Amino acid sequence: MKIKSLAAAVFMLCTLFSGIDSARAEWNASSPVSVISREDGSGTRGAFVELFGVLGEIKGKKADLTTLDAQITNSTSVMMTTVAGDAYGIGYISLGALNDKVKAVKINGAEPSIENIQNGSYTVSRPFNIAAAPNTDNAVALDFIAFILSPKGQEVVKAGGYIPVAEQKEFSSAKPEGKAVVGGSSSVSPIMEKLAEAYKTVNPNAKLELQVTDSTTGMISALNGNYDIGLASRELKAKEIEQGLKPVVIATDGIAVIVNKNNPVENLTNEQVREIYLGNAKTWDEVSK
Amino acid sequence: MIRQAWNEKIMQGVFFVAACTSVLAVAFICIFLFHNGTLALSEIGIWDFLSGTVWRPNIEIFGIFPMIVGSVYITAGAVLTGVPIGIFTAVFMAFYCPKKLYRPLKASTDILAGIPSVVYGFFGLVVIVPLIRDLGQFLGMGGNGNNILTASILLGIMILPTVISVTEASLRAVPSLYYEGAAALGATHEQCIFKVVVPAAKSGILAAAVLGMGRAVGETMAVIMVAGNQARIPSDIFQGVRTLTANVVIEMGYAADLHRDALIATGVVLFAFILIINLFLAYLSRSK
Amino acid sequence: MKTMMNVQQKFLSYKNCPGSAMLRIMVLLSAVLTFGVLLFLILHIVVQGLPHISLSTFAWNYTTENASVTPAIINTLVITLLSLCFAAPLGIFSAIYLVEYAGKKSRFVEIIRITTVTLAGIPSIIYGLFGMLFFVVSCGLGFSLLAGSLTLTIMILPLIIRTTEEALLAVPDIFREGSYGLGAGKLRTIFRIVLPAAVPGILAGIILSVGRIAGETAALVYTAGTVAQLPGSVMSSGRSLAIHMFTLANEGLYMEQAYATAVILLLFVVLINAFSYYLAKKFVYA
Repeated sequence: MKIKSLAAAVFMLCTLFSGIDSARAEWNASSPVSVISREDGSGTRGAFVELFGVLGEIKGKKADLTTLDAQITNSTSVMMTTVAGDAYGIGYISLGALNDKVKAVKINGAEPSIENIQNGSYTVSRPFNIAAAPNTDNAVALDFIAFILSPKGQEVVKAGGYIPVAEQKEFSSAKPEGKAVVGGSSSVSPIMEKLAEAYKTVNPNAKLELQVTDSTTGMISALNGNYDIGLASRELKAKEIEQGLKPVVIATDGIAVIVNKNNPVENLTNEQVREIYLGNAKTWDEVSK
Repeated sequence: MIRQAWNEKIMQGVFFVAACTSVLAVAFICIFLFHNGTLALSEIGIWDFLSGTVWRPNIEIFGIFPMIVGSVYITAGAVLTGVPIGIFTAVFMAFYCPKKLYRPLKASTDILAGIPSVVYGFFGLVVIVPLIRDLGQFLGMGGNGNNILTASILLGIMILPTVISVTEASLRAVPSLYYEGAAALGATHEQCIFKVVVPAAKSGILAAAVLGMGRAVGETMAVIMVAGNQARIPSDIFQGVRTLTANVVIEMGYAADLHRDALIATGVVLFAFILIINLFLAYLSRSK
Repeated sequence: MKTMMNVQQKFLSYKNCPGSAMLRIMVLLSAVLTFGVLLFLILHIVVQGLPHISLSTFAWNYTTENASVTPAIINTLVITLLSLCFAAPLGIFSAIYLVEYAGKKSRFVEIIRITTVTLAGIPSIIYGLFGMLFFVVSCGLGFSLLAGSLTLTIMILPLIIRTTEEALLAVPDIFREGSYGLGAGKLRTIFRIVLPAAVPGILAGIILSVGRIAGETAALVYTAGTVAQLPGSVMSSGRSLAIHMFTLANEGLYMEQAYATAVILLLFVVLINAFSYYLAKKFVYA
């Protein structure tokens, strides 16, 4: 151990001082997969685990069985930076956040794209839900929700890289005055920001406040009235609906499974992804077997 | 005259009340955290909570032993990397630094201290992580660079300013007679410093190390980005860990009910750590 | 101490003690490493961030297009001012009590000293938790600049108490005795004689706290919230500069703007330090 850490220190100094960027080694399929996952409770993780069946039973309860060796991050950018730098990494992000620093693999042969999600060949997607505070009479909030579901609002959704809802209602703003607090999932927030901006051009009288927190906080705060509209990047839990929240789907978001650009893997099956995240397939060899 | 006496009394009261606020604040923080934390502790069982090695909040298994281990490892790593370099740099600042360089260098350690931890986190993620990843693969240890070693190095850098400034102050507090006496006996510059002045400043340097340790234990935002955050006990320094602070920040937003209380209880454990370190520090300063 | 020796003499003197030579190398190496890392860190941020700063970065209103920092800067200023409004009088008054009223060895001073040291050592995430439980929920302030400022007040209190205490202790007793000798009361002596003499030290503490507030994230995310718009009042939620950077970076959509914000934060830190140096210099010579 001592010798190793000494070697580590010496190597560090060498790299630091000479600035050698050690040449990227050739792709080696026997290398371990480095699995990266979102944190427990994240809407993205919940949807991912559900869709790929990374589930099992412990003590008679349905449980998320993502391997404990998976690196955990609570940020999409950390996920992307890590996969972009680690040749053997695998992770998952919202399709709307995907960029060309990483490679999104096909799932069961289907490319993650808006068309493929709409025609049903790419099945890894989850709804973006919003829920107004129960019995709210906040005119701005209600007007804003109507705007989101209108063709104009859905145009913004599409421009943001998400899949618009099928059923759109025409809408003309009543231009109510006042303030509405919108808050919740950090995955929904980027598109909500754009929607709020678009809404302002329709109704300049309104003031929308956006709190970036997370799905669960969004729902709890909508229930207790701290938020007028809560955002969730997952299906609402039975308990939340029971307490009076009515979910409204405003968009569908694909989840892209991402790997490093040097990774030759182009396609993964549901089964393969599940084995990776359960920790059963530990090297890329085993994955492609 | 009587009015003036009243004024004196009133103001003394005001000063006293102000002085009490800090005591009150500590008391309040303790009460709030312990009140919320003990709920979870009593439900989970304090022993199961502290010694449990599995953390799966979605099926209500709460064991924070891996996180305690994680915090201890990373703190130890930060102290091992940051403290020696910090002490040597402080010696440099106090005894070697050319006069012209001193002010800019001193100013730059102050800047190092003022950089927000989020910035350090990104620096670690973009610069240190790839370096360690290559190192790991070079040594055949694998791992993707988000591990104990990376976090230790990053935290080592982050505690440098604290260690440097406290050590330098304590080195300068040693009367110059010590150095001159040793020099008169024919000792080299280094012998004077490391055999005479440094031992004389021992307690101050120890305090610097402990202060640095406190910073390392409590660091959150930077650690989350580079430590990997796996809630399991690591087997070598190329594996990721989750610290107590990371556990709170990562899951706080989602948590509800018992899970949330368990996270607050994690904060209580962290608080206990800090208290122990502080008591140690108080003991050090008293024995000085 | 710094006798000029030429290299050869130096080499000869070290030949007899290889230990000394080793130590010297270690010292120099550490210094180079420390300042090398610092330089690298700063260059990294500036190189990544500077190209992305433009006029629109400072637009009055935040939009997703410009990711403007102006509201964040205003929020940071509001939070800083509010926190100082609470913390500075409290901290300075406590220090006055500790130094001028309580006996040097009194039990009370001992207790307060322990608590301030404890407060100073508490990690910011714990302040965040406490602030959320107490100010946001129990006091019903909600996510607001006020809740954030109150949380930070507790956080910077020990810093102000400690620095003020040191500054007051550094005022020679002759000042006080002279004032009493001329017939001034205790209060008058404190406000007219002791405090003015201690101003530079107190200011140094306040500037240090401003630095801490500017860099704070964990304690503010849970108390002040993350709204990116201009604040309406102290009861509205708003993100400080550090949180602005954190949220921009979090979803990976605005990395360039995040680095640009980091440059501005860095600039802020440099300015604060420069200001404190300037003050220190001015008062030392005066």
